[in-house]
Amino acid sequence: MADLMSHSDFRVALEEAFSGTMAKDASFSRAWATGKLHKEHFVHWATNHYHYIGPFGDYLGLMYANTPDHARDAKDFLLQNMYEEELSDDRHTDLLIRFAEACGGTRAYVQDRNNAMPFAKGMQGWMYYVSGRENFVVSSAALIVGLESQVPSIYRTQYPTLINKYGFSEWEAEFFDLHITSDEIHGERGYQIVLKYADTPELQQRCLHYVREAADMRFAYTKALYQTYVEPDLGPWVEEDEREPALVG
Amino acid sequence: MPRIYFKTAEAYVDFAEGEEVNVLRMAIRENIDVPWQCASGNCGTDRLVVEDGAENLDPPRRRERARLGELVDEGYRLACQTYTRGDVTFSWDPDQVGLDDEPGSSSGGSRAGWAGTG
Repeated sequence: MADLMSHSDFRVALEEAFSGTMAKDASFSRAWATGKLHKEHFVHWATNHYHYIGPFGDYLGLMYANTPDHARDAKDFLLQNMYEEELSDDRHTDLLIRFAEACGGTRAYVQDRNNAMPFAKGMQGWMYYVSGRENFVVSSAALIVGLESQVPSIYRTQYPTLINKYGFSEWEAEFFDLHITSDEIHGERGYQIVLKYADTPELQQRCLHYVREAADMRFAYTKALYQTYVEPDLGPWVEEDEREPALVG
Repeated sequence: MPRIYFKTAEAYVDFAEGEEVNVLRMAIRENIDVPWQCASGNCGTDRLVVEDGAENLDPPRRRERARLGELVDEGYRLACQTYTRGDVTFSWDPDQVGLDDEPGSSSGGSRAGWAGTG
């Protein structure tokens, strides 16, 4: 069994656990950031994303119930995160639907579970499982460090494209702007909780395992978005610098 | 190496050249006592005065402009909404509270009435 790592070594290990499979590098994210997607692709993305993160308050609620009273700072963080998702301002899922509507989608289409990929339903089931069944520090590592803390790196490349290339207004694209910054803070608080409460070698290793698994899940889900909705229109994804000269542009 | 100097706390954070970092995230990471409550640019508790290095900050986006209103022109930024790519110095009132919690508050832009704009 591995030794107990210091906070600084454990933080580096957490960061390295998902550095090779970050969703910002998946084909759908790259096609988005480079302006290759059409608005109907965004509707499909929003629909699947709705079924993936729509129950985020539920996930956090399960984690809250699994967090012992002595970890009051962790409980307060989860509660605040939940409040910010649902009540402090516009409900985050409403911002997501606002974006889908700006792309030509409808609320009814986005909310219909039948329009989501099996991968999205798999993400949702995995998140219910981890948040409901795992130690709170492990589920914090999975959902907050492994998933939520990735969000700014994804949206910071996608948001400028939405405004500058596709011409969305800041109001229409507010879902992304909000999460660029709020998930910076949520992600950092998640790190603080995990560093503090993963206080045995077993817990640290379990956290690392679930961060890897979370990153793998999100990467596979994001890749599947491209394969399902974009590849039939644009063909297999090839990075610009890997394309044959005749295919560039 | 670029440096964020949190003057009121007499503390600083260095970060790697070429990176662009969120100001509040760096403060939380290093346990620097910047006042804050929410992470969404709603409360305005984390408003900081930019004393130096404003040219290294990304421009304020919609949420920050709406929350701070005319305070933006007076040199304020919200730590949670601000990214820097170079040296910058911030100060603040250590006793400050959220913009809506100040006695007789009418400063800054209000979040009320946002829905439906744009």
